[in-house]
Amino acid sequence: METGQFVQQLAKRDGASDGSVLRANVGRITVTRAASQAFFRVLKEDFGFDHCSLISAVDNQTGFELVYHFSIIDMEGQMLEVHVELPRDTPTIDSITHLWGGADWHEREAYDLMGIYFIGHPDLKRVLLPDGFAGHPLRKDYVYEIHEEEW
Amino acid sequence: MSRQQVHGNPRLRKGLGSRTSDSATVMEDPPSGDWLTLRSDQFLKWVDEAVYNVAEKTGIRDVVNRVTRPIFNWGLRYSPWPLHFGIMCCALEMGAAGGPDHDTERMGVVYRSSPRQCDVLIVNGPVCEKLRPKLKTLYEQMADPKWVIAMGECAIGGGPYWDSYSVVAGADTFIPVDVYIPGCPVRPEALMHGFLTLQKKIREQEPGYFLRR
Repeated sequence: METGQFVQQLAKRDGASDGSVLRANVGRITVTRAASQAFFRVLKEDFGFDHCSLISAVDNQTGFELVYHFSIIDMEGQMLEVHVELPRDTPTIDSITHLWGGADWHEREAYDLMGIYFIGHPDLKRVLLPDGFAGHPLRKDYVYEIHEEEW
Repeated sequence: MSRQQVHGNPRLRKGLGSRTSDSATVMEDPPSGDWLTLRSDQFLKWVDEAVYNVAEKTGIRDVVNRVTRPIFNWGLRYSPWPLHFGIMCCALEMGAAGGPDHDTERMGVVYRSSPRQCDVLIVNGPVCEKLRPKLKTLYEQMADPKWVIAMGECAIGGGPYWDSYSVVAGADTFIPVDVYIPGCPVRPEALMHGFLTLQKKIREQEPGYFLRR
């Protein structure tokens, strides 16, 4: 199946919009937070995206944006970007660790550095920073005093 | 014999000493004259009383020190075994210095993998907050005498990450550093010069090693 067909079919689903093809083999789609869990399940089970390559968190000041990159191991180069917008005051989304086990540490990293809370994650704790670190340092509004924090 | 009591012959459990929490089984200290039966803290105290103080008082310690110091010092400064511990890019230069081109092994720099066998800790990269307690543990696990080399800008003062939220501003904020080697990254020649500087420091500053204090 071509990337354009992938994206067209996926964009028809509830909550999905802005389906486009960025370049050869790379599609892009935007999903609402409420529809994301059903969307991801379909993505894995019906479309065969069996590898969660990357989860990026973007701080857009007005809100957060999660960018998931999924790929298919048997189809080399096939990639799908899924963008999910999150509100600033409640940056939560359902975890996808039960679908892709590899998303575990990606989600922990997004929680650690950007403060995105993944509901249903089995072990949501810091992965890069020491336990007890105050705040999430990659947020734009993170203010730190140089080497004076106690943890 | 009730169930609460210690199984076996309680006399054979003497070696546990005051480590046991049960006050009934805590034994008294062993006789102070018999050093074979002492615990480590008691042994140090015994050495103080029986050997160090006597040797100091009679002046024997000073005599032996003067005789043995050149030998011990020579052995120390030509075998500064560093810990094989790499943090970031300076670790590659450390590897290059140990390789055949520069061959620091001719100066006695043999990399060991256990801190118990090492004299020198090379901090060769930025120390992040999560690494700091581990690095301090490594330093404390090394046996005396020990030295620390801060290799590169990151280990000296944090380098380009000095104001980061997770990088410690210099290794000397938590362990004593003997030799600072500037560079980003440090060239292998500079690391060799650092080891030669350490040799010089050992030759000039280290005391004798007979009953060292």
